[in-house]
Amino acid sequence: MRRRVIPVWLATAMLVFLAPRFSLAEGVSWYTFGTEGSYVHEFAHLLFAAAMLSFIYEIFHAGLQRYRGFRLLAWAWGLLAWWNLDAVVGHWAEWTLKNPVITGTGFGRQVLMSDLKTWIFYIGKIDHFVLLVPAFYLLYRGLRVLDQQAEVERP
Amino acid sequence: MTLPLYPLWFLINFCSSLVIILCFLSLRVSQRLVRRDPENALWLFLNWLCITFVIFSILHLVAHFFLEAVTYWNLPNLAVAQRIFGSFDTVIYVTIAAITFFFHCIWRMYRRMEVDHHHLEETSHEILALNREMEALVMERTMAEMALGMAHGIRNPLHVIGGFSHRLLRKTDESDPSRAWASAIAEEAKRIEHMVERFETLAQRKTSFFAQEDLNSIVEATLELLRPELRAKNLHLVREIYPEPLVGRYNKHLLKVALAHLLRNAMEASRIGGTIMVRTCMEKDYSALIVRDTGRGMPPDVVDKVFVPFYTTKLGGTGLGMVFVRQIVDEHRGTITLESRPGRGTTVTIRLPLRFAESPEVSEEAGPSGEPGGPDGKPGTPPETH
Repeated sequence: MRRRVIPVWLATAMLVFLAPRFSLAEGVSWYTFGTEGSYVHEFAHLLFAAAMLSFIYEIFHAGLQRYRGFRLLAWAWGLLAWWNLDAVVGHWAEWTLKNPVITGTGFGRQVLMSDLKTWIFYIGKIDHFVLLVPAFYLLYRGLRVLDQQAEVERP
Repeated sequence: MTLPLYPLWFLINFCSSLVIILCFLSLRVSQRLVRRDPENALWLFLNWLCITFVIFSILHLVAHFFLEAVTYWNLPNLAVAQRIFGSFDTVIYVTIAAITFFFHCIWRMYRRMEVDHHHLEETSHEILALNREMEALVMERTMAEMALGMAHGIRNPLHVIGGFSHRLLRKTDESDPSRAWASAIAEEAKRIEHMVERFETLAQRKTSFFAQEDLNSIVEATLELLRPELRAKNLHLVREIYPEPLVGRYNKHLLKVALAHLLRNAMEASRIGGTIMVRTCMEKDYSALIVRDTGRGMPPDVVDKVFVPFYTTKLGGTGLGMVFVRQIVDEHRGTITLESRPGRGTTVTIRLPLRFAESPEVSEEAGPSGEPGGPDGKPGTPPETH
């Protein structure tokens, strides 16, 4: 695993250093937003996603996918990983959105869907919360199934 | 085109509330799992994860509620609170990841430990079963020998009684009233002697642990069993099996265990591509089994301690393997010798009597020489000493 990761890191570093100045500047401006806390938050989401994916790998590596409880947990982790990646995109859209046009007051507030980023922001916001419900429902169901199995297998 | 923001606000609060409920429910189930098996690493991990998920769900709702309030509901006073909760939100993501990655390592270790534990359990069961079989074998043998000894002890005075009662009968007149008594004594002595004979026959037959077996077949079966292990280590096996059957009274199971242990020792001592030689042959009244390897060998001080219980040079070894091997050979009334030279390999030679029930030590107890009653067991002749 480490052997595979090192060349990827090296290749990325080489690309960054050898990239033409203008493209590098464009890339930086493309992902410039907020304070360093925002970046930390984004990396935390990526870390969360990686942790969930690693656990799915662990479930399959140990052959636990044979059990329904672990299958449900794997689906829950999968949705959580997806949710995290979705959150990274959503946060990027939200934080790089310069002066969104919002009209009205209170519950009558409306956002002007002026460009693609605004659309990504709007849909990402929906995904951000909609994905969490089935993920945690599957977590609960998976745990319930494991609990029932443990109850049956109890001597 | 404009889209309303209130559905987002509604969705955030509704979904986040649902997530909080589901997280609490999950936490309850995970706690039940931990209560049931507090030492299960997976349940502990899931419980910790559920705790962090509960915190996450609450923080997530609060942080987003403030964010929406600041951005879309014109409440800038809440900006600091939103940032604080947002930071906690970040911390909890990192915590979830840390718990999961930590468990990733712990679980691998746990599984390895579980495999080792199973292996250890299997080995200890094997040793226990072997020990039990040995104990039963020794007990049965001891009881049979005791019974034969007792029978032998009864037979001697019985011969004297029978002999003298017959002599008395011959010297007594027909009219003498004591003749009937002497006759009764002689008859009863004969009856007891028959009983003793039957008892002896039964005791001698009681050798259920041993059966007529061919040592060559036992060796072949064990080699077949260990062939995959030999192949995995890329070892050359040289077999020199005696062309005729080496039949004796053996315990097939015990001999297989002993030979398998010797072969595994040889495999462990051998380098990849080494040679192990297994040979059977006949030497007078003994069948011999020789296991030779070209491994690293042992220095003389180790060779001296090979049969000492609990002495081992292997990491995680019990130090009982060779002790069992010797006990198995002893039970067959055989001998085991071990020769080894560092760097040259080791040779183990086992000699087993072809008919061990008739070996000198046994025949002395089971069918003692110089029996007063003679081989036919008739109580007619008094002992020579009288």
